[in-house]
Amino acid sequence: MRKSFALALLLLLSFACMADELPVGAKAPTFSLANAVDGRTWSFHPGDGKVSVVVFTCNQCPYAQAFEPRLIEIARQYQPKGVVFYAIDPNDEAVYAVESVENMKERAVSRSYPYPYLKDGDSTMARAYGARVTPHVYVIDGTGVLRYRGYIDDSARPEERTKTGLTDALDALLGNRQIANTTTRAFGCTIKWKR
Amino acid sequence: MRAYVRFVGLCLSLTAGTAAAATLIEVKEPAKIADAFPRQATIRVLNVWATWCVPCVAEIPDLRAISAAFGPEVAIVGVSLDDMIPGDRASIKAEVAGFLDRNRITYSNIYYSGTSDALADTLRFSGEIPITLVYDRAGRELWRREGKLDRKKTIAEIRKLLGRNR
Repeated sequence: MRKSFALALLLLLSFACMADELPVGAKAPTFSLANAVDGRTWSFHPGDGKVSVVVFTCNQCPYAQAFEPRLIEIARQYQPKGVVFYAIDPNDEAVYAVESVENMKERAVSRSYPYPYLKDGDSTMARAYGARVTPHVYVIDGTGVLRYRGYIDDSARPEERTKTGLTDALDALLGNRQIANTTTRAFGCTIKWKR
Repeated sequence: MRAYVRFVGLCLSLTAGTAAAATLIEVKEPAKIADAFPRQATIRVLNVWATWCVPCVAEIPDLRAISAAFGPEVAIVGVSLDDMIPGDRASIKAEVAGFLDRNRITYSNIYYSGTSDALADTLRFSGEIPITLVYDRAGRELWRREGKLDRKKTIAEIRKLLGRNR
């Protein structure tokens, strides 16, 4: 009796710990967020038939900055194949002024982002997706189901890159194959949550 | 006599300078991180950080205080992930060494140049830093804290663990 109670408690606790992690296979959350570049609202409706990439990133994090050229390169490579990219900054600009919409706009324009750079000012979408760090990547299939979660690559140093999590997932999805690694560990800067 | 006093003073300041200098060893294999702890340390505190990580930098005074609160029975080793940012490895390493000096960090540090996957597998962590892990002499994990440390709670926890593992 005591053993089964302990097991049930352990199971409950493990579910509680995982509650904020959107599991692969779950329906991706919908969002409507303003693009820092022009203020226009971009709405993502999972299940619209398109493969989509949602990337939580930001202005300040050097690790996110290190992956920025790679993300731009991947977007330019996969957008002609019908993949839609959304970059989202979930950091609280009240705590880190560098994460302001103005600074986001400057960054996106100066680097010619080929995707919208959306402000998740109250970190709601980061919580909904279970993002922990920047950069943290999510790949959603055409039916709106989360199919990959984790890093862009296993290293920001191109010469030391051995695993390409994001492009592997996209290639598998576009080629109607199974994704070999559906979850990888995203390294990066802790999200500066809205308090 | 005065010259002798000056000479002794100089020797003492040099010695103090040497004692205060932080060590920074490059390690590529996560399994070798444990080698950085002195043999006599009963409790081994591993702090994974980077100079670019805001909460990591914010908790440095806490780590210094934790280090000062205990004797050689408790050893702290920092694992810098600065190498994750592309650039010339020697220059980044020199920057980390300079950061350690400027911030009066006297506990040993590792410049980790292996893959993030290997480190996360070895330490069984999510990839979010800072993270602080506490081990016993045999390498058994006793405690961990993900995110910024609470100085008082961490000192109390280490004191408790030290009492149990002596």
